Amino acid sequence: MLTKVRLMKLDRESITLLIMLAVLLLLPAYFHNDQYIMHILIMCLIYSVVAVGWDFMLGYAGIFTFGQFGFFAIGAYASGILTLHLGIPVPLGVIIGGLIAAGAGIIIGLPCLRLRGAYIALVTFAFHLILIPLINSDFGRAIGTGSTRGLLGVPPLAVGSYSFSVADKIPWYYILLGVAFLSFFAIYRITRSSIGLAFVSLRDSNKLAKSFGVDDFKYKLMVFGISAFFTGMIGAFYAHYTGIVSTRILGLDIFLMVMVMLVIGGMGRFPGAAIGAFIVTFLSEALRPLGEYRLFIFGAIVVAVIVLLPEGLMGVLFPTGRVGPGERFGRFIRRTFTRQPSKNSGKELL
Amino acid sequence: MTREIAEVLISGIALGSVYAIMSVGMTLVYGVSRVFNFAYGSFYIWGAYLAWLLFGAFSGMSYPVVFAIVIPVMFLFGLGVERAVCAPLRRKAEWQMLTVMSTLGLALFLDNASLVAFGPHKKSLPPLLAGNMNIAGFVVSTHEMVTLAIAISVMVGIGLFLGRTRLGMKMRAVAQDGVGARIVGIQTNRVFSYAFALSTALAAIAGILLAPKYFMYPQGGWEILIKAWIVVAFGGLGSVKGTIYSAFILGIAEAFVGWHFGLQWPEVFWFALMLGVLAIRPRGLFGTGE
Repeated sequence: MLTKVRLMKLDRESITLLIMLAVLLLLPAYFHNDQYIMHILIMCLIYSVVAVGWDFMLGYAGIFTFGQFGFFAIGAYASGILTLHLGIPVPLGVIIGGLIAAGAGIIIGLPCLRLRGAYIALVTFAFHLILIPLINSDFGRAIGTGSTRGLLGVPPLAVGSYSFSVADKIPWYYILLGVAFLSFFAIYRITRSSIGLAFVSLRDSNKLAKSFGVDDFKYKLMVFGISAFFTGMIGAFYAHYTGIVSTRILGLDIFLMVMVMLVIGGMGRFPGAAIGAFIVTFLSEALRPLGEYRLFIFGAIVVAVIVLLPEGLMGVLFPTGRVGPGERFGRFIRRTFTRQPSKNSGKELL
Repeated sequence: MTREIAEVLISGIALGSVYAIMSVGMTLVYGVSRVFNFAYGSFYIWGAYLAWLLFGAFSGMSYPVVFAIVIPVMFLFGLGVERAVCAPLRRKAEWQMLTVMSTLGLALFLDNASLVAFGPHKKSLPPLLAGNMNIAGFVVSTHEMVTLAIAISVMVGIGLFLGRTRLGMKMRAVAQDGVGARIVGIQTNRVFSYAFALSTALAAIAGILLAPKYFMYPQGGWEILIKAWIVVAFGGLGSVKGTIYSAFILGIAEAFVGWHFGLQWPEVFWFALMLGVLAIRPRGLFGTGE
C-alpha cells in the first residue's frame, strides 16, 4: 500500500514536470522572432534553477538559508574569471564554477550546523552581504573580479567549434532548458531517494530522526553542497549568457523576486518553485508599464497570495498532495516530540 | 589619550542606545510569538516619514506632539497588520516560514509605497534639540544626549511594562510557554497582536530618533533591519535583556574599532564577533533553549 502511494506521488510530480517541459519545448515555435520574450524565457529558466535549489534547502531540508545568491555570484564569478583570464573551456568552467560554489556552500554550512531558524538566515545573509564589498575590494581585484566595474567580456558558451552568440537566443534557450530540467530531475531524484527521506525526517522531527541515527551534520552539509552546486552552475551559465558579471546580481530586488517565486509556486512542493519562476518573471514584466507602482502592487500580491493560498500554486493544483501517510506520521511525531508554543490558535483549548 | 578614549566611549554609548532602541522591538516580537518580522525596517522608516509629514503639514510642530500622534497611529497600524497578515497564518503547519515570507512581501509593499509617496530622495528631520552641550569637560551634541535619555527611558519603560503590568506578564508567560499560557486562560492571539503592535510603535520611535542623523529614504529600513538583526542575534533572539547588553557592547565596540582601525572595519568586526559568539553560544549571549 505504502509503495503504491509513493509511486502515485512520484508520478504526479514528474507528470507536472513533463507537461512543463513539453510546453517549454514548444514555446519557441511561437516566440522565436521575439528576442525580448526569448530573453525573458531564458531568464525564467535561470531563475527557476535558483528557486528550485533554494526550495531544496528551505522547503525540503527546512534550512532557512538566505545565501543562495551568494552561491550564484560565486559560480558566475568563478567561471567568468577562469574562462576569461585562464582560458579554460567554457563547459569546464561552468562545472568548476558549480564545484567552487558547492565548496563555498559547505564552508557556509559548517557554522550553520549548530544554529537554528532565524540564526541560519542571519549567517547566510551575512555571507551574501559580505560578498559585495569583498568582490569590490582590492582582494577582489587581485583575483580578477574587475572590482566595481564588473567582469566584462565573459566569453559565450562554446561546444567544440560551435559558439553560442547573444544575438541568437534559440540555442541558448534550448541548452538552458536542458540544463534546467536536468537539474530539476537530479534534485527531484535526490528528494525521493533515501537521502531526501533523511532531509525530510530531519526537518519534520529533528530529534527523533537523530535518535534513529540519521546523521544531522552529514546531511545538512550535503544539502548545502548540492544546492550550492546547482545554483553556482546556473550562475556560471548566466555569466556566459549575459557576458558580464557585476555585484548587481547580489541586489536585494532580485533576491526578493526569487523568494517571491518560491512563495507563489509553493514551498516544499516540487516543482512549484520552477513554475513560480515563470509566473513571477512574466508577472513582473507585465506590471512594468506601471512604473514605480510595480513593486508596490507586487508586494500586495505576495502578501495576498501567502495569506489566502499559503501553499502556493502547487497547493491549489494538488490540495491534498502533502498529506500522505508519511506526512501524517511526521506531523504526529512532530506534535508529540516538539514543543511549538504558538502553533495553534488559542481557541482550541479554551 | 585617556581623554580620547573617554570621548570614544561616550560616542559608543550613544551609538549603543540607538541600537538598543532599534532592536528591542524586534526581539520582543520574536520572543513572544517567534515571528521574525522582515517588515520591521519598513515600520521604522514609516514612523520617520509620518513624523516628516506632520512637520511638513503643521508649522510649529514639536517633538512631544509628534510622538503623541505617531506612537498611537503606528501601534494601531501594527495591530491591523498583525491581524491581517500574521494571525491567519498561525494555523498552518509551516507558519514560521510563511510569516517571514509574508512580512517580506509587506516590506516590499511598504517600501515601494513610500517610494511612490515620498520619492527616492533622502529626507531629514530637525534635531530633537539643536546645539552641543558640555558634560564634565566633554562636548557632546545635545541631540545624541536626548536620544540616549529617551532610549534609556524607553528601555526602563519596557522593563516595567514586562515586569509589572498584567499584559507584560502575559507576554512573558506566552514567551516562556505558549501552551501553558493558554491553559491558564491567556488569550495568546491577543497577546501576539499587542506584542507586534508594541514592536511597531518601538520601531517608529527609533525611526524618529534616528532620522535627524541618518536620514530617511524608502530603502533605508533594510540597513536598520540588518543591524537590528545582528544585535538581536548577538544578544539572543527573544531576550530583551540580552538585546540591550549586546546593543551597548556592539555600539562601544564599533566606536573603538572605527577609531582605532578605520571606518570600514566595524562591519567586518560585527560579523566576525557575531560568528564567534554564535560558534560558542548558538543561541546568542543571553539566549536560552526554546
